[in-house]
Amino acid sequence: MATQAIAAETGHRGARLNSDIPQLIIGVIVVAATTFIPDIAGNPYWTHSFQLVNLFICAAVFQNLLMHDAGQASFGQSAIFGMSAYMAAIATGMHGLNYGIGMVIGVLASVVGGLLFAGPALRVQGYYLGFVTLSAATVFPELLIALNKYTNGINGISIPFPTWHKEVFGLSMLSLVIVGVTCASLAFHVWLRSTGFGRAMRIAAASPEAAQSLGINTGLMRCLAFTIVSAGTGVAGLLYPPIVGFVSPSAFNLEISIVFFLAVIVGGRGQILGPIVGVWILYLLPNVLLVELVNFRLLAYGTLALVVMLLFSDGLIGSFERWRLRRNQSTQRVNIHLDGLLGPVRTVGARAPRTEVAIDVKKARKTFGSVIAVDDVDMQVMRAEIHGLVGANGSGKTSLLNVFNGFSRLNAGSVTINGADITRLSSNRIAKLGIGRTFQTPRIFNAMSLWENLEIGLDANTGKSVAPADVLAAMKASMGEQSVDLVPHGQRRMIEVMRAVLMGADVLFLDEPAAGLSPGEREEFKNLLRRLRDEMGKTIVLVEHDLQLVWDVADRITVLEAGKMVASGSPTEIAGNPSVRKLFIEPTHA
Amino acid sequence: MVLDELAIIVVRGFGLGSIFALVAMSMNITYNASHIINFAQGNMFVLGGFLAFLIADILVGIPMWIIMIPVAGVVLAAIMTLQGWVTLLPLRHSVEQHSWLITTMAVSIMIGALMLIFQGPWVSTVNSPLPPFMVFGVRTPAPYAAISVLMFVWFFGLRWFLSKTLTGLAISALSQDLEAARAAGLKVKRLQLLSFTISGLVVGSAGFIAAPIISIASDTGIRYVLNGFIAAVVGGFGNNLGALIGGPLVGIVAMVATYEIGGQYQTFVSLLLLVGVLLLRPEGIFGRTAARRV
Repeated sequence: MATQAIAAETGHRGARLNSDIPQLIIGVIVVAATTFIPDIAGNPYWTHSFQLVNLFICAAVFQNLLMHDAGQASFGQSAIFGMSAYMAAIATGMHGLNYGIGMVIGVLASVVGGLLFAGPALRVQGYYLGFVTLSAATVFPELLIALNKYTNGINGISIPFPTWHKEVFGLSMLSLVIVGVTCASLAFHVWLRSTGFGRAMRIAAASPEAAQSLGINTGLMRCLAFTIVSAGTGVAGLLYPPIVGFVSPSAFNLEISIVFFLAVIVGGRGQILGPIVGVWILYLLPNVLLVELVNFRLLAYGTLALVVMLLFSDGLIGSFERWRLRRNQSTQRVNIHLDGLLGPVRTVGARAPRTEVAIDVKKARKTFGSVIAVDDVDMQVMRAEIHGLVGANGSGKTSLLNVFNGFSRLNAGSVTINGADITRLSSNRIAKLGIGRTFQTPRIFNAMSLWENLEIGLDANTGKSVAPADVLAAMKASMGEQSVDLVPHGQRRMIEVMRAVLMGADVLFLDEPAAGLSPGEREEFKNLLRRLRDEMGKTIVLVEHDLQLVWDVADRITVLEAGKMVASGSPTEIAGNPSVRKLFIEPTHA
Repeated sequence: MVLDELAIIVVRGFGLGSIFALVAMSMNITYNASHIINFAQGNMFVLGGFLAFLIADILVGIPMWIIMIPVAGVVLAAIMTLQGWVTLLPLRHSVEQHSWLITTMAVSIMIGALMLIFQGPWVSTVNSPLPPFMVFGVRTPAPYAAISVLMFVWFFGLRWFLSKTLTGLAISALSQDLEAARAAGLKVKRLQLLSFTISGLVVGSAGFIAAPIISIASDTGIRYVLNGFIAAVVGGFGNNLGALIGGPLVGIVAMVATYEIGGQYQTFVSLLLLVGVLLLRPEGIFGRTAARRV
């Protein structure tokens, strides 16, 4: 069938990959029930306990979003949470302002705090950011004490909240607000993931290179993630003073950060129910069971986190999900092909003579220290040609490819693609000029469905028509919620190529696309390249060690040796060149 | 500023900085061998001090004290070997490469919690067996000098070990290229475990010697791991020469901050220093920028 993008062999389809919605429903029920039932029953101890538990869950939801979707490890969420609680308390309790105004000030303060985290996060990642945020969490209560002129220091601020405890339908206002805010944060997390923005955020976290090659500004993504998460955590923090009626520096110490962080780990990173399970196990259980032994609470946090990490590295919900997916594992294999895309869109009819220059490289020079990776290379690639880039290992092929899509910058010379000088552009801006890239190890995201793995290409499309809407709808329907794990290894590269096509790229850079393909798959791949060129008019630059494949498919070939261009021309012209013959004599698998 | 104040700032700042440098060096060892940064390093250091507190009764006379320094090192080495084994456990199979961030944090919390259970929320103090000395007419506790000496001992000791012994060279090879080292037939796991052991020796002896001048409490470890990390970052992560310079630098800055604006801002100033270095020169003074891999 022409519009079918995948052909599935028979076998049962297996469990749905994505369980966000069922998890959301369970989560909302749990949060609402645990808050409302003690409130209706009129038990002040449990009402208070669960109000606090569900508030912490709300903060942990944003920690989950930050850690899993945005890929940022922050130990400083207690400072963000405390920032809004304290600012609102200062405004109301010390300056007599309306709590509504205090709330606005509080959330703004949290966002400012989050942006302070985002600053270092632009430069450094991982454990560096972990230490910066860790020290911020340590410093925050110390500063609250030190600045006692403005914060009332160690004595804290107490504020009465009579209106929040008014009854509505037998429930206190406060309970209603807490359930509303916490459920809204759960729903927000689920919704955000289904948007193009949410997908872009996840790709930026999983593979910054892939994100940049799809035109995503990873730095901006991190800043936005911190802003969103801080605003959300700030809103949660605003409800702390009404629940407790009092704020003091010790309420927002490192221990709270650790509860938020480890709750996500114990519950399961990225799982919607993760924060709920995590806060229950880490905060609720020790505080109820070890109420007499407060000192053992910290030991419980550490031990639980360690045991969970060693036994269930995906967290409790994450491990359950893995077990569910494995039990219902689909027996089918999914074969994807591009017929669905190629069939209806014949943009280029007969092959025109290739006169237009698509890529123009002038005196390109790239050095790493004393090593000259690209040495004064001049080359041209014509529109709608397949151009092979060959050479021994270390000859500068990948270095040149990295220059083409902005991963590294030339020391001298220039590169013009599609008429635009890209020499000084960042990789995400280059991508937006219609330049696609695949990687030596395919950037396929297992946490996303097969369709989502392609959809991120469409998300990156800046308005270029790639296929009629009904073709895309048919593709989406046929792929549904399939896991990318069902795609055979050799075909995973197709996903990347297809993604670049959906992005609307008319220049494609393929880095060793044939590695790991079987002889049959190689033949198919050659056909695919020819069809991309002939039917869609794509310009393709191919870095490949399989010289046979290059000679079969390329219109022109450039040979590099020790960073220098030694030959460029048609396959037959090049074959006679002595420096090229050497390549053939050398073992081609090297 | 009068001379005696300056003397206090420089001498005590240098001593304090030596502590940070030792913590930084102990972090560098495991980092170079396994790319793991041990969040529990601060609490391990405090544990070394706690050991001195536990055996304070039998610590009479300088010879006994000197004998106990390597003992403290060995005890912490044993504890850290166990921690290393636990930390490296999930890395064997799991694809999750950042599990160590969580496991070492969990161990750090557990040590702090155990100290809280043993001694309550109090600070333990240890008397120095060495007599204080005079600098510009200011009485200075001897451990400030002793810890500085230990910093140089470990710096040169580690330098010799990592460049002159076969095992040390193998560990250095891990820091260059883990995959190549594995391919060359090095027993990577065992060497990584050994790096935890050595790290324990460093931090245990440091904690023991510094015991009289640090606050031995359940929540102070975090301060030492943070400042040790900052010292390592300032010097360039993984570089012991960087730690040797970064440590005293951070120590003196912290001391100046304490004198000029008050002790309650000490951590805040350290945080500003960390952020400043990361924003301006993330690779540190002696660090090199790594080529980008795609």
